[in-house]
Order: sequence, then structure tokens, then C-alpha cells
Amino acid sequence: MISIKHLSKTFHNPDGSLLTVLKDVNCDISQGEVISIIGPSGTGKSTLLRALNMLEPPTGGEIWVDGENIMSKGYPLDKLRRKMGMVFQNFNLFEHMTVLDNVTYAPMALLHTPEKEAKKEALELLRKVGMAQKADVFPASLSGGQKQRVAIARSLAMHPAVILFDEPTSALDPTMVGEVLSVIRQLAKDGLTMLIVTHEMRFARDVSTRIFFMNEGVIYEDGSPEQIFEHPVHSATKAFVNRIHKLVFELDGDDFDFLEMHTDMSRFCIKYNVADKAELAHAVAEEMLFRHLRIFRPLTLRLTHTELSGETALDFMVEGLSASPLQADASTDSLRARVKDIIEEPTSRGFRIKVLL
Amino acid sequence: MKLTKCIHWVSGALLLLNTVACSGHHEESIELASEADLAGLTLSCSAGNYYEHKYSAREDVKVFACNTETDAVQAVRQGLADVFVSDEVVMSPEAMEQLGLKMALRGEESFDVAFALRKGNVQLLSRLNGFLSSAPLDEIVAHWLRDSPAVAMPDAVLDEETPLRCIVCMNLAPVCYLGEGGQWQGMDPDLLRRFAASLGRTVEIKFQDLGSAIIALETGQADIVSGNLFVTDERKAFVDFSDPYYACHPGYFVLDRDSKTHPGLRSRLIMNFVQEGRWKLLVGGLCETLKITLTAILLGTMLGIGLCAARRSRRQWLRSAAGIYGTVIQGVPTLVLLLIMFYVVFAGAGISASSVAIVTFALVFASSAGSIFDTAVSSVPKGQTEAGLSLGFTPLKTFTGIVLPQAVSKGLPLYSSECVALLKSTSIVGYIAIQDLTRASDLIRSRTFDALVPLLLITLVYFLLAWLIRRLLNLVLVK
Repeated sequence: MISIKHLSKTFHNPDGSLLTVLKDVNCDISQGEVISIIGPSGTGKSTLLRALNMLEPPTGGEIWVDGENIMSKGYPLDKLRRKMGMVFQNFNLFEHMTVLDNVTYAPMALLHTPEKEAKKEALELLRKVGMAQKADVFPASLSGGQKQRVAIARSLAMHPAVILFDEPTSALDPTMVGEVLSVIRQLAKDGLTMLIVTHEMRFARDVSTRIFFMNEGVIYEDGSPEQIFEHPVHSATKAFVNRIHKLVFELDGDDFDFLEMHTDMSRFCIKYNVADKAELAHAVAEEMLFRHLRIFRPLTLRLTHTELSGETALDFMVEGLSASPLQADASTDSLRARVKDIIEEPTSRGFRIKVLL
Repeated sequence: MKLTKCIHWVSGALLLLNTVACSGHHEESIELASEADLAGLTLSCSAGNYYEHKYSAREDVKVFACNTETDAVQAVRQGLADVFVSDEVVMSPEAMEQLGLKMALRGEESFDVAFALRKGNVQLLSRLNGFLSSAPLDEIVAHWLRDSPAVAMPDAVLDEETPLRCIVCMNLAPVCYLGEGGQWQGMDPDLLRRFAASLGRTVEIKFQDLGSAIIALETGQADIVSGNLFVTDERKAFVDFSDPYYACHPGYFVLDRDSKTHPGLRSRLIMNFVQEGRWKLLVGGLCETLKITLTAILLGTMLGIGLCAARRSRRQWLRSAAGIYGTVIQGVPTLVLLLIMFYVVFAGAGISASSVAIVTFALVFASSAGSIFDTAVSSVPKGQTEAGLSLGFTPLKTFTGIVLPQAVSKGLPLYSSECVALLKSTSIVGYIAIQDLTRASDLIRSRTFDALVPLLLITLVYFLLAWLIRRLLNLVLVK
């Protein structure tokens, strides 16, 4: 369906220097595939996507779509883009139109769908993304998640053969990521061909049939989610997918802004999609800091989240300690009962208690 | 309803102020036996004329120099000056009565009055002098200045194609004034018509201040300038004078305390708008203002679209050209630009003053419209274009269907303000002898010496026009 050969893209900076974002990208995409493109920032993920529908014309290589080279001169790009939908990071809804008009505008103008039919279909699509109720409002009054769902419906209204998602959840408040991802999940189930640039590792693993790990302007590793996430061939891939997100607090004494820590922890949990763990994290931190570990200062507290495994943990580290400060009493038992596990282990510099939430 | 009431109140209050201001502080009329009696008095006159020069040199007289003779007359009526001095002919007996003035003294001096021609226009000069020596000059002058019977106009065949282009730079009866139906009348127009007839030509009379009139002579846009012009050596350096056609004495005018002329609002309205069909002047002026404004908006908008395209162009030289254009136009006062266009760029191009005004205002409007359009289009985020393209719209359809509607709603308030600003700035076209709304009211004021009523009326008209423009453009936005 789509075949990319030796694709490259070099930007000319205003100061005259050159920036090569895509070096040599090669791949074949078949119908029905759901491909997530992951990788560090600035490795050309978005540029690749935007090159595919020629919003960012490549500087070298070839792109073949249904047997035609779309980079050849005079190729009708508007026809190409009708079958290649795009969902943007910043939604880009038409601000001067209602939600319904946003969805019906292109089919009516480009496919000449009769108004009545276009409206009916648009309402069906809006229902599918849960936005039928808001059909008559203007985008300005919608939340980010709602806007993105409308943008997806707008793209679907053109019956594209493939949809390109350019970081669809990156501009969203963490609380709204879920609603957009679940809509995309549903589309994957329906068998739509999709390319998704995303930073949501678990989502990528769950929803994709294939993963591109991009690094330094090339597709560094291309494989099934199982291969990329469980048995990556390259060490760079392994390092990237096993990234651990951390939030660190240093406690010197008791004069510590516990409430601020509370807020930071909540934010962290929401950001990594484990909002349900926030309450427990607070309770455990409070109980440990003010009861079991009260006399142990200075102390380092770390809230960690391993994205791929979904594991969330609180680490309490006290320097210069050789045995666990936890006493085997009733209150410790009750704590143990509420969490997944408590691991007590000595480290090179002291002692660590890891509470798996 | 509310608006009408409001206007009623405001005009009433202003009239009251006007009346109060008109009552002077001397109880008795001022008596003057000779020019020596002027000591200690304030003298009003038109700025830059002979009398200002003469009396500025006298230490015991205070000079109140006004922009026009009309203003100088008003100064006396409002008690800002005691005596109005000008040529004796500027005030007819009717005018004096209407204004409650009288001539307190006729000066001893006498000045030769003649027509001014372009330097070196020997042929016309000799024919004019020939005409002046053969015409019944004394009778004609006596008719206008002393109410003697009119002199019959000789029969003539006007078979020449080109009219005699005359500029009068005075609008005061009986020398020259706008009479019935906007026709120029008085001693000078009468003489000019007779002279033209002797050449077999018609006359075309325009009204301009002396400064512009001299430029028009020099640039060949006029043949003869008149309006009680004194022959002075200073002026001879710039123009050629015909033989003098009469000798003029100065007149000193003061408030006549015995006269009881305080016209009511009704009679003032009649005087300003009904008498001599003066409303026709205003209607003509309104048409001229509308013609210039609307055409300039239309042309300027088209040019502005081009400028906007140039500013957004990928070609560097187009962008710089548009930038330079904007800087130049916005750095020059509109009036100065108008005068340059009229007297330099289009001098002798055979283009009417109205067209020059339209072109000038279109150029000025295009510059601001261009930057308004540019700002409006830039204010639509790039993502809107990308979304349109990604759905399969062509770049043109993306612009017209998605970017443009949003740009219009963002740019329209600024655009309509600019239209209103243009309407108001057209009030300067009087400088190049176009009789627009403002000029029409000036002409009426200088005839009736009523400062308030004509100004109040055109204020109202401009206000309504501005409101109308805003409303019309708002309708576009709703659509």
C-alpha cells in the first residue's frame, strides 16, 4: 500500500545551517497495519509522518502509494490527502465552524455528499467518538480531549484508507489522554490502517501490530510489539523502552513541605496514567515518613514508574544503615497488607525499602 | 427618537453659547474719525494680508489675525476684536445689516486692483488689457459696488472649445460669491465672463486660497486668478498683472449697537440652507464626498489585496517593495501627498481634481488596508491551513474556504475603522478646489457669516455616514 525508499529530509535553518532530520528511511506498510512510531524527541518521527502526506515535502528518496510515486512532479496531492487522513497534536479544528460543520465540510465540498447524508453520517461518527451531544457548539468551548475526538471524526468523514496520528495526546491535559486513546483503540479494532507517533508506550504495545523505533533519523528497529518491548535487538531500543520515570525528594529534617510533595506526586501519577495509585502513594509516604522512619533523617524518597511494565513504587533510602528500620509489628503488617509488596534490601551506601504500589 | 432629542439639546446649548458670545462688552458703537482713533483697540483681519502687515507695525494697536475673512468678521461679532479691517468691498450693505455691522471708517489709502496671469502669458495679457480698456468698466463696477443699474451683456458666440480657467480666491459679496444655485457671481465673475465672451470662450470658475491659486497659475492649471487682488511689487515677482480695473480703499467695520439683528434658529436655518438654494451646495458636496470615499475604498481595497499578497510573497524583492511603499505612504501627511499629487505628479496631465483625490486616497487606504489584511491572515494559525490541506483541499480552496473567513472576521473591525477614517480625511480635498461636504459648508459660512449652523449640520452628516459605513460592513461580517 505504502512503500518508502531512502527517504530523507533536510531543513535549511534561517542562519544558513542545515539540519538533517530524516537520513535514510525505508519501509513498507500494508493495509490493516497499526504502526506506532516511538523514539526519543527530535529523531524525525513527526517529520516522517508529515512527509507521507507531503505537508513537509521530503528532500530525497521515494514514496510509493498504491503503485504511484507521489513525489513525482504534478502528482495530485489533494487526491492523495483525501485517502490519507491526519490527526494533529494541536487538533486544528476549524474555529469558525460548529462541531458538526467541521465534520461535514470536507465531504460536502470534496466528495459532493448531499447535505442531509453528510449530516447523518457526521452524527454517526460523532456518536462513535462520544461527541454527538456537542454537534452544534463551536470548538472554542470544548476541552482538549473533546477537540481531539472531533478531529478524529472529521478525519474519518473522508473515509481515508489510512490515518496518520501526529502525537495525538501530547498537547492534552493528562486527565484527557485516556478518552482519546480509547477512541483510537476502537479504530484499531475496526481494522483501520493507522500510523501513530506517540510517547504512550503501553498504549503503543497494546494497540499496534507493528512498532517503528526511530533514532537519529532512521528506523532503527522495526518489529512486532513483542519484539520491540520484550526482546529488542538493539541496546538503544532496550534503553528507550525500559525508561523509568522518577520523582525524587530529599528530606533533611522535619521542616519539609509535605503538601507540595503531595501535589507533585498526584501530578506524576496522572501524567503516567496511574492516577488510581496517587491516594495510596500519599498514605504510604505519610505513614512511613511520620511513623516507621520518623527518626531517620536525612532520607531520600523516590516515586518511580516503569512505563512498559506499569510498575509504580515508592523507594525510601537511608544512608549509613545496614539493617531494615521496619519493625515487625501490627502497623507494619497492616501496611504490608495494603500494598503489592515491600522489598527491604541493603545498598552500597545504606538501606532501601521499596514499596510496590 | 433618543438621538434626535440629544441633538436638539446639544444644538440648543451651542446656539445659546454662540448668542452669549456675540454680545460684546462696549455699550456704544465705536466711532472712528481717522486711523489714529484705532489706538488701544483690537483689530481683526485675515492673516498674511496687507492690513496685518501694516498694523502689526503699530505699537498701539493689537492685531487679531484670523485664517479667513469670515473668521475675522466672527471675531468682531463675538467680541474678540473691536474692529474688522479689510477692503471696503468685502461687505455689501445687506451683509452688514445681516451681521449687525457698520462701516465706521473708509481709509484714505487706495490700491489698484487687477487680475493675475501666469508670468509670460503675453498673448492673454494683451487681450485682457484690450478688453479692460474698451469695456464700460465704470458702469460695471458701479453696478456691483453702488447698486446702479446692471450693464447689458454683449451678445457673443461662444465657439471656442476650451473654457477660460479662472480661480477666484475670495468668497465675499459683492466681489465674488456663490449665488443662486451655486453659480459664481459678483464683480470679478462678471468681468471674467465678459472677457471670456469677447474671446468666444466660456468660463470655468473655481474657488481656492491665493497660495494654491498662484501654484495653479504657475503649473498651467489656471489662466486667470482674481479676487480683489492688489497690485504689489512682491506679487509682481511671481505673476503678471493686468491693467487695474478699479481702486480699492480699506474699510473699517465695527458692531452696530443700534441694530437688533439676532436671527432665531428658524431664520438661521433658512438663511444657511434655503436662501439662494444653498442646500444644493451641500447635496453636491455630499455626493462628491461619497464619490471620493467609496471609489477610494474600492480601489484601495483592491490595491491593498495586492499589497498583502506582495507582503506575504516568497520573493524578497516584492516583500521589500511593499515594505517601502507602506513606509513612504505612512510617513507623509495625507494633505501633503494630496498637494504633491495635484500640483506635481498630475500637474498638466488633464486629470480632474476629483480623480487625483481618488487616486491619492486609494494609495493611502491601500497601505493601511494591506497591512490590516496581512495581519488578519497571519492571525489565522498555520495549523488551520495544514488541516485543510490534509483533508484534501487544494491550497487555493484551503485559503478561500478556511483561512479567509477567519481572517475576515478578525480583520473587519479594523478595516471598518479605516474606512471611517478615510471618510473623515476626505474633508481636506477643499485644498485642491474640490467642493466636498466640508468645502460646501465653508462656502456657505463665508456667505452667511454663520459659523455654527453649517458646521453642526455637516458634523451630523459625517457622523451618520460613519455610522452607515460601520453598519454596512457589520452586515458583511454577519453574513
